[in-house]
Amino acid sequence: MSTPKKSNNHYLSGKEIRAIAKENAKVIKRLEAYKKRKAEESEFLTEMKDNRNILEIEDLHTYFFTEQGTVKAVNGVSYDVPKNAVVGVVGESGCGKSVTSMSVMRLIQGPAGQIVDGSIRFKAYDYVRNEKGEPVPKEGGKPGEYQMEEKIYDIAKMPINEIHRIRGKQVAMIFQEPMTSLNPVFTIGEQLDEVTLIHVPGATKELAKEKSCEMLRLVGIIPENVYDRFPHELSGGMRQRVMIAMALAAEPRLIIADEPTTALDVTIQAQILDLLQDIKTKIDGSILLITHDLGVIAEMADYVVVMYAGKVIEKGTVYEIFQNPLHPYTVGLQKSKPTMTLDDSTELYNIPGNVPNPVDMPEHCYFKERCAKCTAKCSGAYPGMVQVSPTHFVACHLYDGENENG
Amino acid sequence: MLKYIAKRIGYALVVLLGVSLIIYFLTRLMPIDFVKDKVTQVQTSGATVSAEMVEAMYASYGLEEDAGFLQILQGYLNWLADLVRFDLGTSFKYGIPVTEKIAMHMGTSFIIALIAAVFEFMIAIPLGITAATHQYSLRDYIVTILVMVGISLPAFFFGNILKSWLALDLGWFFPSGIRDATKDYTGFPLLIDYFRHVFIPILTVVILSIGSRMRMTRTNMLEVLNSDYIRTARAKGLKEKVVINKHAFRNTLIPLVTSMAGLLPSLFSGAIITEQVFNLPGIGNIALEAMNAGDIPFIMGYNMFLAVLSVLGVLLADLMYGIVDPRVKLE
Repeated sequence: MSTPKKSNNHYLSGKEIRAIAKENAKVIKRLEAYKKRKAEESEFLTEMKDNRNILEIEDLHTYFFTEQGTVKAVNGVSYDVPKNAVVGVVGESGCGKSVTSMSVMRLIQGPAGQIVDGSIRFKAYDYVRNEKGEPVPKEGGKPGEYQMEEKIYDIAKMPINEIHRIRGKQVAMIFQEPMTSLNPVFTIGEQLDEVTLIHVPGATKELAKEKSCEMLRLVGIIPENVYDRFPHELSGGMRQRVMIAMALAAEPRLIIADEPTTALDVTIQAQILDLLQDIKTKIDGSILLITHDLGVIAEMADYVVVMYAGKVIEKGTVYEIFQNPLHPYTVGLQKSKPTMTLDDSTELYNIPGNVPNPVDMPEHCYFKERCAKCTAKCSGAYPGMVQVSPTHFVACHLYDGENENG
Repeated sequence: MLKYIAKRIGYALVVLLGVSLIIYFLTRLMPIDFVKDKVTQVQTSGATVSAEMVEAMYASYGLEEDAGFLQILQGYLNWLADLVRFDLGTSFKYGIPVTEKIAMHMGTSFIIALIAAVFEFMIAIPLGITAATHQYSLRDYIVTILVMVGISLPAFFFGNILKSWLALDLGWFFPSGIRDATKDYTGFPLLIDYFRHVFIPILTVVILSIGSRMRMTRTNMLEVLNSDYIRTARAKGLKEKVVINKHAFRNTLIPLVTSMAGLLPSLFSGAIITEQVFNLPGIGNIALEAMNAGDIPFIMGYNMFLAVLSVLGVLLADLMYGIVDPRVKLE
């Protein structure tokens, strides 16, 4: 992709706009064709790098091709989600944390938004399929029971018409806005049943209802009270519980919770977080928790990934990130968190400056302009990932020379 | 629910009273004098009309020359008194009761409008949906441009073009009228005859009206497609087809169904220009003639009929809302 010349004030001439539009159309056409292609299963089967992980995101690039130019919302992100772990992703608004999770679900809104490069390896527990692609029933099993096997899919390479193998079934998502995330014209029951009906081949209405009620009980709701209700008759906290029940209905291995508590009041937030903890142990799965609330991360996560401007700048266990933050941005984030011990006279710290313009990212470290510890080296190339402990990585020139890794 | 409907009908009566007052005064204020026109007609044919005769005519029609406010108000009250007795009066121009005249021509207009409306919805809704799901694609642009051309064409111009092409050049259809007066068809051939007369008018109306309906569907669909619950539906693993045809369409239906109820008066009002172009004996054509002649009872009767339908249409739309949108409670 050749980026057209840009003037400093971000004013684009008609010629530049046309050049961008032409370039975008070309790239989008290629990527859309790739997305819509028909492919054999073998094309998107792969192997995990580390068998303890259930999700490995490697060098993911998700771009938005806009009229002003290409926004590299996710620009070479790599992180892993180990089995039975909670991985927290933090970063400010627009840093690409949600776009990464949406890429895992392949929910990026095309045609403008596209996964351009990278791989998303996911260890799925899927049906054994015969030559026709139909699931093979379990011998002597009840209806709705099928033979299962572990398969590793590369979600980024999957054609879009195969994605229903993953979406909702293997990876489920809980969204930020419980108030608007349920369809207003269908009852809670109808919307919950749907999940079982799509993902369990040959499922009957009765089976689906049974499953839905079980899930509602799991999230602490008496099914009789809400099954025939419409979403608008429920409070925000109840709706978020329904969303969680919906996410659990197909017994996913990974739940992506995209700011699940942001729109809720504080008491309900605590309840929902407890519920998520509780569920993690019950379903024997992993949770990818996306938030900008460091308190939530400290409470919930085993591993933390810190993102800034479309890149991972630091990742490690929750202890490493909170007790030994290395990247100046992570340090700044922690400093800007209000604490009980802070006396009234000290003003709350904030990181100076702004995130660079996403269509016009510099070559050097994206944090350079806002960084107090910046050195001459920082004007050079973007810093690579440095490994400081077996689990702790940081992308900052301050730690260069300490076991460089990629 | 019944209480709600009763309350709404009560409000409607007040609205209708206001509407009738406005229409009556506007009609009387029009610079048309039915009696004077008639007298002029008689005089041009050579006969003499005495002043007494003119006065007698004014009296018999219940009008006055250069009427003042009080006289118009008196006329309105007389009209209202008749209305309460379910009497819309006798048409000046046609010499028969207004209700009879309306009933005579309603059928033609209604059938044409109904068929056109059915086709309009059947074509516009799928077009709107594809345009929305393929936003900014070639398909979207083609559909949008074509329907915009449709909206922009004036009925008299496009109707005449279709007429000259389909009726005069190709001879498949008849250019005007509702049936062949020279033949005495019955049964199926009669139906064919009707079809060959009304095809072009219906086609004209459909092409002219698809545009706004399609734009409406497209806008609503786009709004729905960008909503959070559609993302949820996709995240569940539903196929895109189900997402669009079930989750999105069911929500797009809310404004569409209510707009359908608002269609009620337009089904009966007649398409004035189209009926003129194709010389159809529809109510729109008759109403225009009555309007030009200053036929007060007919103008009042016709407009009040439409006003009643409009009020009913709005009530129906609100009731429909209660049915298609579970969030709406009618109380």
